Amino acid sequence: MTENAPATMYRTDEGTGPWEHRGKVAAVGVGHSPTARRWDGRAETCVGAISLIALRRAIEDAGVDPAEIDGLVMDPVTTTGAYWPKGKPVPEEVTSAFNSTDNPLDGIAGLSAEWILKNMPELTGIDFTMYGPGCMSNAICVAAQAVGDGLANTCLVLKSWHNYEGRYYQGGANAGSDLPGTAALHALWGTPACYGTALQFAEYCRKYGKNHDMMAPFIENSRQNGLKFPEGYWASHRPEEITPEDYKAARWIAKPANLFDNDLPIMVSAAYLYTTAERARDMRQKPVYILNHAASNTRPRSLTPTLDEVEADTARTARKIYEGAGITAADLSFENMYDGFAQFHQFHIEGLGYRGMKFGEALDFYQTDISIHGPNPILPSGGNIGCGRSRFWMHTDCIQQIQQRAGERQVTGVKPEVAVSGGPMPLGGRFTVWSATPD
Amino acid sequence: MILISFDIDGTLTVGDPPGILPMDMVRAVKEQGCLVGSCSDRPISAQRAIWASHDIEVDFTVSKHMLPDVKAEFEADMYYHIGDREDLDRRPALEAGFEFLWPHEAVDMPWVDGPDA
Amino acid sequence: MPKQGVVPDDLTRPFWEAANEHRLVIQSCVACKHLQHPPAPVCRVCGSDTVEWKEMSGRGTIYNYGVVHDCPIRLLQEDQPFNVAVVMLAEDPGIQMYSHLPGTPVDEVPVGAEVEVTFEATANGQMVPEWRVVGSSGEGGEPA
Repeated sequence: MTENAPATMYRTDEGTGPWEHRGKVAAVGVGHSPTARRWDGRAETCVGAISLIALRRAIEDAGVDPAEIDGLVMDPVTTTGAYWPKGKPVPEEVTSAFNSTDNPLDGIAGLSAEWILKNMPELTGIDFTMYGPGCMSNAICVAAQAVGDGLANTCLVLKSWHNYEGRYYQGGANAGSDLPGTAALHALWGTPACYGTALQFAEYCRKYGKNHDMMAPFIENSRQNGLKFPEGYWASHRPEEITPEDYKAARWIAKPANLFDNDLPIMVSAAYLYTTAERARDMRQKPVYILNHAASNTRPRSLTPTLDEVEADTARTARKIYEGAGITAADLSFENMYDGFAQFHQFHIEGLGYRGMKFGEALDFYQTDISIHGPNPILPSGGNIGCGRSRFWMHTDCIQQIQQRAGERQVTGVKPEVAVSGGPMPLGGRFTVWSATPD
Repeated sequence: MILISFDIDGTLTVGDPPGILPMDMVRAVKEQGCLVGSCSDRPISAQRAIWASHDIEVDFTVSKHMLPDVKAEFEADMYYHIGDREDLDRRPALEAGFEFLWPHEAVDMPWVDGPDA
Repeated sequence: MPKQGVVPDDLTRPFWEAANEHRLVIQSCVACKHLQHPPAPVCRVCGSDTVEWKEMSGRGTIYNYGVVHDCPIRLLQEDQPFNVAVVMLAEDPGIQMYSHLPGTPVDEVPVGAEVEVTFEATANGQMVPEWRVVGSSGEGGEPA
C-alpha cells in the first residue's frame, strides 16, 4: 500500500540552512505523453495508458535498464475538476485491456502506484513507492528527498491528468441541489476556480496602480514559448497565438480574470527519472542537479488569501528557496514559476526578487523584453497558458534548458545554469532549484 | 438581410472537437447573400486564420460575449447564432436578441424560409 | 439570487442553526480568543480543542470583489454576471464572508463601504448570511 509522503519530506521551515542533499540528486530523464483535449474512451488513450507512455519515454531518455529502477513517486489524483459521473458504467473494454486493481476506475479516473507496477512488468526492482499528492511540484520534491535520503537510488516521478466530455468543474456537487455545510461556506456563491486569484489581482492593481491590459505581453509571450514546446497541447493541436488584441477582447470568467488568464484542461502525463549525482554521471543525458526543494504550508486566515498574505508568503518562500540552495536571486539564469492562473505568476516572481524586482513591479517588467532571446526570460516553458493544464511544463523546461536541449525554446540571452520552478499557488506551493553543476 | 453567426468548436467540422457543419455550408450561406461570421472562444486572430485558410471572407470575427456588438454593428432582418453549448451559445444568443439553432437544426438552413418554416 | 440548499454537517451546524435564527455566529477559541472562519475542530492559532460560537454584530466592510461571468454552479448561471464580494467583519477584519451584495448593481461595488448582514433562504429553506451596503463610503469599484 503506497502512502502519502510524510510532512517531513517537504522543506517548509526557514532557517534550516543549505539542503543536506544539495547537488547530490539529479534529474536525468524526461518523458511526455501525447496530449488530448479530452479522453476519447479508448483503452490506449486513458490516463493509465498515457502514463505508461510517459514513464517508458523517461526511462528511454535516461538510458536506464528498467530493472535498475527502484523507486516510484507519483500523484494518484489525476484531475481537479473532471469527475466520473456517479453510476456511469466503467467501460469493460478499457479495464480488460490492463491488469486492474481493486478500484475499477484505476487508470481511468485516477492512478495508483499499484496500477502502474501491474502494467509495467519491466519494473522488476521497485521497492519504494510514495505519493506526492497535489501536482508534479509536490512529487518531485518528494522524489528528490527520497533519493537524497537513500530511500531510492533510481526513482521515477510521475504526474498525469485526465479530462472528460463536458465542462470542467460543472459536474459533481456543482450540478447538485444541495451542498454540505462546510463546503457551502464558500461554494454557495458560485465562484469559479480563478476567483481567488482574480481577487488578489484586483487588489494588486488597486494597490500599485496597474491594470488588466498590462498582462497582455505576458500572455502573448507565454503562448509564443508554448508553441515552441512540441509536447504541448497548443503546439501539437492548435498552433494559435494570443495577441494583445485577442487577450483584451476575451470574455471575462471572473472579472478581472478573463478566458486567457485561465488554462485549458487536457489529458497529459509526464515522468522524470531522478537518481544520485554519482549514479547520474554515466547516464545518457547530462545530469541536472537539484540544489534545493522548498515548500509553503501557509494557509490563509479566512476564506481566500489577501494580497498581504500572498506577498508575505512569496517572500518567505523565496528566502527558503535561496537559503537551501545556497544562492541568491542574482544567480537565477531564468525562472519557470507556475502560471495557471496567469494572474499569480507575478506574485511568484516578485517574491523571488527576480532580476531585482520588487512588489508591484512585475507588470511593468512584462512591458520590457521578456522573451527567451533577451536577458530576462519570463517563463520560457510557456507554462500552462502556453501548453495546457499540466502544472509540469516548467519543470521539464528547466531540465531541458539546462541540458541545452530545449530546441526552439532554448534561451539565448542568458547562459542556462541555475533556474527555479514550482507552484501551484503562492500559498501552499512546492519549488525546486535546478543547476548545471552540483555546487 | 440575414446574419448568421457560427460558433466554431463543437459546431463546425474544423472545430475542436469537430462539429457537423462543413465549411462548404458556410460558403453556401455566403452565396445566399447572408452576412456571415464567427463568434467563438478562439482568439480572434485564430478565427481569422481559420476563415482565411478556407478562403472564406467573413463579415465579423468576435469573442463569445460579443454578439450584442455584432447586432449593433450590422443591420439585418434576422440574426441567427449556431452553437453547441447551452451556457455559452444558446443563452447569450437569446439574450442578445438572436435566434438560436443547434448545429443539427442548422443543417437544413431553415433561415431560407424564415424562422417559422 | 437562488442558492443551492445546505445540509449542515457537525462542524458547521451551529453556524447554520444560528443563521436560521437570523444570527451571525463565528467560531472563537476559548483559550486565546482567536476568531476563525471557516470553522475547524481546533483553534488554528493555539491548537486548543475548546472552541465556542460567538455572536457577531452583523456589521462589516467590503474588502474586495470580483464579477462572475462564467459560474460552475448551474443554479446560478441564469443570473450571470453577478457580484461576489469579500466582506470583512467589524469585530475582526481578518474574518471574511462572501456576498452577492443584493441591491448593488453588477460591477458597481463600493470597495470599503459598510455593509450589514441579512439572511436569505437557500433552495432547501436553510437560511444563509448575505450582506447589503448601508453606506457609500467606499472608494469605488473598477477592479483592474
